[in-house]
Amino acid sequence: MIKVSHLRKEFELSRQQKKELNTTANKALAVDDLSFECQPGKVFSLLGPNGAGKTTTLRMLSTILSPTSGSIEIAGIDAVKYPQEARSKIGFLTGSTGLYARLTPLEIIDYFAALYQVPTKEKEERKKYLFDLLNMNDFLQKRIGKLSTGMKQKVSICRTMIHNPEVVIFDEPTSGLDVITAENIIKLIRDCKDQGKTVIFSSHIMSEVDLLCDDLAIVHKGQLKYNGQMSDFRQNMEASNLTEEFIRIVQR
Amino acid sequence: MIFTIFKKELIDTLRDKRTMRTMLLIPLLVFPITLTLFVNVSSSFEKKASEEKLKIGVWGDLGAKYWNQLEQMPAGLGKKELENFEDSSALKRAIEQGEIQLGLIVPKNEAELTRTKQSIPLTWLFDASSVGRQQRAESYMNFMSNKAEAIRLKELGVDVEKIHPLVPVYQNCASDKKMIGQLAGGFLPYIFIAFGFIGCMYPAIDLFTGEKERGTIETLLTTPVSRWQILVGKMMVVVTSGMLAASCALLGLFVSIEFLDIVQNKEILDIVHGILTPSFIIAMFSLLFPLVVFFAGAMIPIAVYAKSFKEAQSIITPLNFVMVLPAMIGFFPGIELNAMTAAIPVVNIVLSTKELISGTLSVGYYCISLGIMLLLATLSVIVSYRQFGNEARILN
Repeated sequence: MIKVSHLRKEFELSRQQKKELNTTANKALAVDDLSFECQPGKVFSLLGPNGAGKTTTLRMLSTILSPTSGSIEIAGIDAVKYPQEARSKIGFLTGSTGLYARLTPLEIIDYFAALYQVPTKEKEERKKYLFDLLNMNDFLQKRIGKLSTGMKQKVSICRTMIHNPEVVIFDEPTSGLDVITAENIIKLIRDCKDQGKTVIFSSHIMSEVDLLCDDLAIVHKGQLKYNGQMSDFRQNMEASNLTEEFIRIVQR
Repeated sequence: MIFTIFKKELIDTLRDKRTMRTMLLIPLLVFPITLTLFVNVSSSFEKKASEEKLKIGVWGDLGAKYWNQLEQMPAGLGKKELENFEDSSALKRAIEQGEIQLGLIVPKNEAELTRTKQSIPLTWLFDASSVGRQQRAESYMNFMSNKAEAIRLKELGVDVEKIHPLVPVYQNCASDKKMIGQLAGGFLPYIFIAFGFIGCMYPAIDLFTGEKERGTIETLLTTPVSRWQILVGKMMVVVTSGMLAASCALLGLFVSIEFLDIVQNKEILDIVHGILTPSFIIAMFSLLFPLVVFFAGAMIPIAVYAKSFKEAQSIITPLNFVMVLPAMIGFFPGIELNAMTAAIPVVNIVLSTKELISGTLSVGYYCISLGIMLLLATLSVIVSYRQFGNEARILN
């Protein structure tokens, strides 16, 4: 479960950033008083246009960034006070995730299993399960640099799931991927939901959201514009389709 | 956990061809190649110069006297062929055009000067842009001068000892080891510092800026490993790389001395063997280690700050000059290790190593040098930690 309450994030602006943004302000507000909950066994979607604060929010949830104020609870752990403990419960995958090009998939998976301190027996079982599930056995010994985008994506998924996390965070996971490669991600999100994991994913593609999510929140300029169940969202739509409704809410 | 990160980063680094080149290959080969080239080229030049048959032009009414003297020169002073010139400007022109290599002009009043026992100016013409010409002229001149001096003293009936009441005897009390330490001692720490820096550079950029650029840092930061553990694991690889590069340079130098006949004088070779003992190497590495940690600590904040490999490289490369420049102090004679120089970073390492080679390093100054470098290394680690913990810097 994820509980977010009155989350706020300000960034100090450097001289160069001030110049680029054409502002004299010393700080930029990326996330402004966000509160929502993600339930286990459900897929929560964080929707918003580019620059809405989705990535910043998810980076705070995964404890890469610390919030300026507000609280985050991950699987019952206060992630602001105990970020390291919270991280052991999280699997994090982004569309822009890179992999170590000079290592093999097997080396990468073993490395991350060691970082998550997965016991050896459990690690071997998880590896076998994931390698078979993702059909990875043929390229385990090849260097990442020589793999196709689809193969790399499978390695990223395996790396995210090796410690069997309770909470899985996806930040625009299908961005830049072709339809077939993106299908692996869609399947993974569904599997996580079926296994009772808490899933949160950010996107600006309404078709993906329609396909997967149970609950959703729409953010724009760091503020929460909508938070509720997907079924309610569909029922109460004022526009003719999901994309138009999304645009209507953002521009409201 | 630190070891897990260290192991992974080391494997990753060792598989990077660019890092391998700067960390192992170049330091290992630089001395065998440059020293072999230097020795071969200089010995071939020396051989060529000694074997070269010089054409010597002689001009002057009384040139025949000196012609004979030149002909009687010992063969050890070099081969020669004499040619008589009627005109001094023709002799000059011949030298300019390379037809003649040395020219001797005997003054017209040579007989008068000899008779009145005055100094006789003998003018030697040569092209100074050609190696060894002046030296050959000087050796001929010394030979002739000694002979003329002996004849004149005999004519005057003067005993040589009577005109030289004081004969200086200079005796060097410094051991050969100390002499080598002072003359060549600055060289060793300089190459160590230079290669230690270069060895740190690529891994520091690759493991910090490279990880940002490739988008792998975000994933690493979501693991339940604290940032200081990640930093220490990565920093250990940077330091290992710097130490490896410096060690490879030392190994290359050792191989050159032992197997490539660079040092042909057996006495000097014995002294070098006496210097390169395990205790010397341990003491030198103990000085080098905090220096390399300091290098790593200075580079990591830059690598974390930079947004691209190019940006990091463009900032760290000039830093090389700032860091390595004080190492040149080792080449200046007269600058010694004292309480003040022992407190100047990098300079203290150079001077301590110099004294270590000479066998004159005092424990007190060694401790001050080591203490200063350890303090600096600790400060650089703290700065690195703060920069690595800065969320605005760590993510692109």
